[in-house]
Amino acid sequence: MTATLERGLNALREQIDAPVASFFSSCVSCGLCAEACLFYRATEDPKYIPIRKVELMRRIWSREFTLLGRIAGMFGLVKNVTDQDLSDWETLVYDSCTMCGRCTLVCPVGNDITMMIRKMREGMSAAGHAPVELIGAAQRHTDGNSPMGDLSKAIQAQVKNAINETGIEIEFDKPGVDYMAILSAQEIAEFPDVLAAMARIFKKAGLTWTIASDAFEATNVGIQLGSRDVARKLVQRVVDAAERLGVKGVISPECGHAYQALRWEGPNLIGRAYNFEVIHIVELLDKLRAEGRLKTKGKNSQRVTFHDPCQINRRGGINKEPRRLLNMFSEDFVETDDAGTFNWCCGGGGGVGANERAEPLRHQAFKMKKVQLDKVEPDVVVTMCAYCHHTLDNVFEEFDMEQEIVGLTELVAEYLDDDDAGSGEKA
Amino acid sequence: MPNKPMLKDLMKTHGVSRRAFMKYCASLASVMALSPAMVPRIAEALENAPRTSVIWLSFQECTGCTEAITRSHAPTIEDMIFNAISLDYHHTLQAASGHAAEEAREHAMKEHWGEYLVVVDGSIPIKDPGYSTIAGISNLDMLKDTAAGAAAIVSVGTCAAYGGVGHADPNPTGAVAVSEIIKDKPIINVPGCPPIPVVMTGVLAHFLSLGIPELDELGRPKAFFGNAIHDRCYRRPFYDKGLFANGFDDEGAKEGWCLYKLGCKGPTTKAACATVKWNNGVSFPIEAGHPCLGCTEPDFWDNGGFYKPLSVPSGDYRRLGLAAVAGGAAAGVAGGLLAKATKAKAAKAHETVDAHDLEKSS
Repeated sequence: MTATLERGLNALREQIDAPVASFFSSCVSCGLCAEACLFYRATEDPKYIPIRKVELMRRIWSREFTLLGRIAGMFGLVKNVTDQDLSDWETLVYDSCTMCGRCTLVCPVGNDITMMIRKMREGMSAAGHAPVELIGAAQRHTDGNSPMGDLSKAIQAQVKNAINETGIEIEFDKPGVDYMAILSAQEIAEFPDVLAAMARIFKKAGLTWTIASDAFEATNVGIQLGSRDVARKLVQRVVDAAERLGVKGVISPECGHAYQALRWEGPNLIGRAYNFEVIHIVELLDKLRAEGRLKTKGKNSQRVTFHDPCQINRRGGINKEPRRLLNMFSEDFVETDDAGTFNWCCGGGGGVGANERAEPLRHQAFKMKKVQLDKVEPDVVVTMCAYCHHTLDNVFEEFDMEQEIVGLTELVAEYLDDDDAGSGEKA
Repeated sequence: MPNKPMLKDLMKTHGVSRRAFMKYCASLASVMALSPAMVPRIAEALENAPRTSVIWLSFQECTGCTEAITRSHAPTIEDMIFNAISLDYHHTLQAASGHAAEEAREHAMKEHWGEYLVVVDGSIPIKDPGYSTIAGISNLDMLKDTAAGAAAIVSVGTCAAYGGVGHADPNPTGAVAVSEIIKDKPIINVPGCPPIPVVMTGVLAHFLSLGIPELDELGRPKAFFGNAIHDRCYRRPFYDKGLFANGFDDEGAKEGWCLYKLGCKGPTTKAACATVKWNNGVSFPIEAGHPCLGCTEPDFWDNGGFYKPLSVPSGDYRRLGLAAVAGGAAAGVAGGLLAKATKAKAAKAHETVDAHDLEKSS
C-alpha cells in the first residue's frame, strides 16, 4: 500500500459528516475567520483565509454529497479534485495553519474550521501530501517510542538525574499509584527539569505517581499529520499502559497537542471511554492548590506574563488555573492583550514548527504575538506547553528578544514551600 | 338613433341649469384628480353623448356596493341616472320584477348591442352554477350572455373584481372574479368592500365622458388607486416618528398614533380612502380609530388576520410552509441517504494508514 490520490479522496469522503455538511452549507463568506487567522493577519494574503484552506473538501462535499452539486458535476460545473490540487493546497493546510482554533471561535455561524482542517489533513496525508518531517516523526514514533527516535535510554537517564537532584525516588512501571505521568519528547530532550519539579511537588502533596517504561511519550504526531490510524495506535499505547498499571489518572504534560490527543480525541479514536481520568499537569497543580496540598513561599519580583497555549486554553478549556498558580508568588504579573481564549498562537503548533519549509512564514506569523509581548515588556514569559516554549526560544533568538521563557510547573516548583516536612506527606 | 334624447335636451327637460351642470363636471374632474382644463371637455362630451344604457348585474354579493353607491354625494346616482345614464336593469333598484325585469334586460341588450355598459357586483360561483341563480338563470350564463354585447364591464366591489369574501379560503362555491370568465372585453375593476361611492360614480362618469381610464396592473383606475393609503394617511407622521398604538385603549390609541402594530394594512393598500374619505368627506376607518383592512387588495380576507401587523408573515403561508417543510424533509432525507451511501462506501474502502505508507511510491 502506498499513498495515492484515490486513497486520499476516499479519506476525505470518510471525514465528511453531518457537522461538515452543515458547516459548508451555513458559511456566509463573511470573512471574519480571515481577521482571526494568524497567517492572514501577518501576511494579508487572501490565500490564507481559513475557510479557503478547506476548499477542496468543500468541493468534494458539493460534488458528491449534494444533489445540486452532483447535477452541476455532470455538466462539469464543479471540478474534480486532482493530485495537482492537493499539491497546491499542501502548504496551505500544513504550513499556514497551526490549528490554533481562533477562526472557530469567531465564526458567527459556529463553523468549526479547525476541525475541518484536521479532517482535511486526513485526506492530504493519505494521498501522500504530508510534510516529510511529520511523516518521519510518525515512522519513528510508531516503530519506536518517540517521534525523536528511541528515547528509552534518555528517559532513564533524565529520571536518574532528577532522583539525584531531589533525593526523591521515581519508580518506573509501579502499579496501583495515583497517577501515570507521560512526557513530551521536547521535555525529555530539552526541558528535563520538569521531572524534578514534578517529583518535589507530588512528594509534598502526598501524591503517588509513576512513568511507564513503554509508554512515556505523550506527543501524538497522528493528530498533526492528520491520520486517525496513526493517532489511534499511539493513544492506544498510553491507554494500555495506564490500564495495565491500574492508575486513577494520567497526567497530560505541558504539551498542547498531546492534551488534545489524549483528552479530547482519544476516546473517539479508540471507540470507548477510558477507565481513568486524564488531567493536565496545570489542572492538577491548581487542584492541589485548592485542596491546600500545594503551598508556595517567597515572591517573584520579576515582571511576568503568561503565554496561553492554544490547545490547552482555547481548545482545552484551561484558562484560570495557570493564572491562579502564577498569582500565588508573582508580584508583577501582567497580561498581554487578548490574553486567555483569544491569545495569538506562537506559530509553531499543529506541526508547523517541525516543518522546515514553513520557517519563514512562521517567523512572519510570530509578529502578531511579538507586538503584544513588546507592549507589556516582561522579564519572563511563562507558558504551559513545551512546544510553545521551544518555538518561543527559537523566535526570540531570531528577533533578538531577551526575555526568559519558563514552564509553569518548573516555576511553581521553584517557589514550592517544602521546608516543613510534615504536612501533607505520606512517607 | 334619432329617438335617443341627447343629454342637453334632457337637462332642459329636467330643469338643470348650465351652471349646475358645469359644477357637476368640475366636481367629477376634481374627484379624479384631473386638470381643471378637462372640465370643458367633460362637459362637452357629456352634453353631446346619448345616455348610455347600463345593465347592473348582482351576483354573489351582499348588496353593500349598491347600498354604498346610493349614498354617493357627488355626483349622486340620481344625477347619473337622470343626466348621464339609462339604468335599464338593476334588480335591487328597479320597480319591475320577475319576467318583466328580465325582459327589460333583454330589451336593453337588443336595443344597444355593442354599446351598453355592464356593471357587476358580486362574485360568480363556478363549482356548481346552482349556488346562485336569478330567474332560473345561473350567474355564469347571465354574465356570459350579457357581456357578449357590452362595450365594457365595470366590476364594482372586491367580489366582482377579485372574488372577495366568496373567494376567501376555503371558497366553498368556487367563486371567481369577472375577469376570470370574461377575457374579450375591457374590464375596469373598482374594488373595495364596498368601494367609496364617489369612486364608483366617478369611474362611471369618466367612462361616459372620456372613455376607459388609465388602469394599474390590477385593473384599477390609477386616478383613485394610484397611492397607498399609508402615503396619504394623516397618521403617517406618527409612523415616521415611531409612535404606535399597541392596543385599542392604550395611550397611543387615545393620542391618535399610527395603527401599524394593530394590523393596519395601509402601507400595502391602494385606495382613495385617506383623501376622498367617506360619507361626504367626513371620515375614513383609520380616522375612526380602526386599522385599514386592505379591502381594495386581492385576497385581503386571507392575508393572515386583520389585527396582525404587516411585518408578521401573512398570506397562504401555512399551506406553503407545510409544503416547504414536507418538500424540504423529503429532499433532506434523499440527500441524507445519498450522503450516507457515499460515506459508507468510503468507510468500506478505507485502507488503514501506516506511518510507512505516507509517501508516494513514485
